[in-house]
Amino acid sequence: MERGIYRALPVIRVFLFILGYSWMLMLPSPQLGRGIYIDENALQPGQVNTYWSWDDVHSADVYLGHLEQLRDQNASSVEKSSFVRSVFSELGIPAATQGYSFKTGTMTLDGINTYGVLSAPRTSGTEAIVIAASWISLTAGPNLRGIATVLSLAAYLKRYSLWAKDIIFIVGDGYMDGMQAWLGAYHGLDQSNLDAEPIKLHSGVIWTALAIDYPGHSFSHLGIFYEGLNGRLPNQDLMNSFHIISTHTGGVPVVVYDHVEEQMDSIISRWLPQLFSRQAYIKEYARRARNVIRHVRYQALGRASGVHGLFHRFRVDAITVFAVPATGPHGFHALGRVIESTLRTMNNLLERLHASFFFYVLTGPGTFLKIGQYLPSAVIVSVAMMFGGLRVWVDAGWVKQQWSSEKVNHGPAGKAPKWKTRRRNVIIPLVVMLATHVVGGITFFVVTNSWFLTRTDKTTYLPIIPLSLIVFSILSALLTSDQPTNSQHDEPSPAPLSSLLKAFNLCLASTVISITSVLNFSLAASLAILLGIPLSVSSPTIGLTSKMAKAMSYFMLLLPIWWTLLATPMSQSIWDWQVWGVWFAPFVCIVYLPLVLQATVVCMLDP
Amino acid sequence: METKVLAGALAIRLLAACSPLQDVLQDDQQLASPLTSYARLREGVYLFKHGIDPYSGGVFRQSPILLSLFSTILPLSPALLSPLLWTLCDGIGAWSLSRIWRLRCKSSVTYGSREGLIVISYLLNPYLFLPSLALSTSTFDNTLFLLALHSACLGNLEISLLLLALLTHLSPTSVLLLPPILFLNLAGPSSRLSKPIQFVGYRRAVPLALHYVTYLSSLALISTLVSGGWGWIGRTWGAVLTLPELTPNPGLWWYFFTEMFDYFRPFFLMAFSMHLIIYVAPISIKFQHDPLFATFLLQGIFAIFKSYPTLSDPGLFLSMLSIFPEIYPYLKTPIVTTLLHLHASLLLPLFHRLWLSQGTGNANFFYASTLVFGLANGFAVLDAMWAGLRIAFGAAKEGWEIVQT
Repeated sequence: MERGIYRALPVIRVFLFILGYSWMLMLPSPQLGRGIYIDENALQPGQVNTYWSWDDVHSADVYLGHLEQLRDQNASSVEKSSFVRSVFSELGIPAATQGYSFKTGTMTLDGINTYGVLSAPRTSGTEAIVIAASWISLTAGPNLRGIATVLSLAAYLKRYSLWAKDIIFIVGDGYMDGMQAWLGAYHGLDQSNLDAEPIKLHSGVIWTALAIDYPGHSFSHLGIFYEGLNGRLPNQDLMNSFHIISTHTGGVPVVVYDHVEEQMDSIISRWLPQLFSRQAYIKEYARRARNVIRHVRYQALGRASGVHGLFHRFRVDAITVFAVPATGPHGFHALGRVIESTLRTMNNLLERLHASFFFYVLTGPGTFLKIGQYLPSAVIVSVAMMFGGLRVWVDAGWVKQQWSSEKVNHGPAGKAPKWKTRRRNVIIPLVVMLATHVVGGITFFVVTNSWFLTRTDKTTYLPIIPLSLIVFSILSALLTSDQPTNSQHDEPSPAPLSSLLKAFNLCLASTVISITSVLNFSLAASLAILLGIPLSVSSPTIGLTSKMAKAMSYFMLLLPIWWTLLATPMSQSIWDWQVWGVWFAPFVCIVYLPLVLQATVVCMLDP
Repeated sequence: METKVLAGALAIRLLAACSPLQDVLQDDQQLASPLTSYARLREGVYLFKHGIDPYSGGVFRQSPILLSLFSTILPLSPALLSPLLWTLCDGIGAWSLSRIWRLRCKSSVTYGSREGLIVISYLLNPYLFLPSLALSTSTFDNTLFLLALHSACLGNLEISLLLLALLTHLSPTSVLLLPPILFLNLAGPSSRLSKPIQFVGYRRAVPLALHYVTYLSSLALISTLVSGGWGWIGRTWGAVLTLPELTPNPGLWWYFFTEMFDYFRPFFLMAFSMHLIIYVAPISIKFQHDPLFATFLLQGIFAIFKSYPTLSDPGLFLSMLSIFPEIYPYLKTPIVTTLLHLHASLLLPLFHRLWLSQGTGNANFFYASTLVFGLANGFAVLDAMWAGLRIAFGAAKEGWEIVQT
């Protein structure tokens, strides 16, 4: 049986690769996935009567007028925050401001947050709900209507005494930097490059948060943005209750991000022939695929898709409600009703959200994939790589020993050559792997150094590629000359370095993919796609030109590093690492780069 | 050569102890169990020094011997002196491991450069390094175990039994190591795996066990005098048998007992403890020709199935593998074991963090990773056992295959 498995192993590996990749392609298909449901019974979404009225819409309009005045005057942070603070004070809500300053290597970001705390009227405020809006929207325009909603909500919510938790209203400066400073100061987390004033008004433990993003004039749909830092997702119950409330109480359809269906349908009908574009299956697949791809773009890079993403580190479930700009029918009235009902639902919680899912892929506003429906796709690819590594390891332990010429004359057809075991020196491949990781560490250190970051002209670093090719070829020549020559008689020469290095490389890459699939599935899937086939087909070559050609093709795999770390003047990923603590940049340098380098070294060695 | 390697590795250890890594690791539940935690040791010493019986509460579960040592002679300062003491203990353990290697191969090939490798495999093994950084008292357990083995290899019966009695006070599961260590005293440490001979010392060994019992009871008497009562027995030895604390650890007991009704508790406690006992006789008899190897295998088995293991128990097993190089060619699946250990050692802290600090996972995640860890250790023990038996058959002949029926 073992021999059968050994012989069938290449076929099994190809089958597993095909299975894994086609599973990944099938993730957006309408057959996979199920409808959302509320798991925490305490939430009871959409069961309350809302009393948000047109008077409250009028107060929101008045606040909006003031805010537009501030925008037209190009008001400074001090003026803006003092206006917001005065609004809170007039309403009788205790308010305070918090100044902060981020100093990274290249730039300084400062601002002033304003926040007000509405204490729970009849209970002790041991828990809190946060309603936040930042001055800059995720579309990079001003989020004036979002802030106006927050201010009018503050005026409205104060009138009711049914709140069991404190409500904290935060108007953060900038886009996400203000919220980062506020949350860090609130939870007592210091950051070396942040200088923030302490929080003067403390409240309870924050359990849930909503961020409001309303850049346009009116909106047609409400979009949910839910990714957090480092691929973390909030509990699905929050999004599900918001979805139910918006659809039934507010009458506003919900979409994922700002992906309105009609836009997608027009794109499909432009690009596909009529035969396909009219099929409902294709349409649905395209819509879901668009959602999944955008989700992967956020999650694989570890970026938060909005202000809410900063809350997840503190076990706070948070989403951003984005009013998709349109000439459409809804405005402050619908938004206020929806937010009020969501707050009433969040108010019902007796314990943190724990019942629903934390690991899911939201394919549409009402459908999602559970972990068992998407995780095996990346794990199957990593298993295929692991089988490849084990196969190379086993093969490295045997060598076919040819009969010497005198014995060939015996017997009619010649005897079958004998297989002999040979030693596998594991120390040298391990040292090579350690060296590649050290190179990765040095690269990360250089790339995050402020000297490097201040130089804006990154294209001057392209000569690194031919330089490193030369270094690699020298290294491989040295490594192969180290191996002892074949002594034909009793001891076969030890296994070649290229086989052992390839085996270890494949096993390590497989481990990395499996482990990251639980932490950050999109990152694991991207690694599986980028590394799966290239690492499995790395092989030693003879001849300098073919070695160089192969090494250049492996350097193509390093393009993602180029794009995320070196491309823009202040690379977004390095900014993420320094300011939000996203570990994508160190991961790419210290784990991904060494894996590719090891495969390149395998190609540069002699067989 | 060996001293240079020893000094170098100790220097690396001390450097790591000065880094802020130590503060992060001290409360980690995989590196220190309730029986070995440094914070609890400090709590107990503090209570003792202020005249309160540390065994009246449920926090302190260390032996009164450690209590007396750390409240009188040795100071407890996590900044400088304790890391120094722990590193020193590890150095003594590495030294005794390399001496055991010397005694084992004194009759055959010269020991050579392997000593440096053995010292490195003990001092820089992450499974031993990290608990030592976290100041877990399992470091003392390992050092005492290796010192007891070293004295047994030298043939110093009384010292080895005294050290074993001391070890039993700190880690009660070690009482099951008495038979193979007695046989080791009588038979000697040289490698006879490939040339098994019968052991003829059973009659002599039985009265010698009384020496051990004498040492154990006198230490028990001393402990009672120190702690001023018999309460320490229930809190220390009783904790291993009755599992009062279900703090998560890399072992297999805690999850089982979290989901168990009280009615069944005594039965399962007895079954789990019996499970440890049943391994002693078969392994000691089967490997009677090489009791050092039998001790090694038993230590590996106990590391998997102990009630409160830490990472240093399987770490000791893996490091001791370095003194048996004759079995390496006969190991069936070394790469599978290595890969399982790699996965388990990455999954354990990941799922622990996902469950307890991030809150997106639950206890089942961490339990699954302890199962993988147990599987990895099981693979290692079984592989070593197979190789130890297989080596007696020698190289396979042309056209023949050796199978296990």
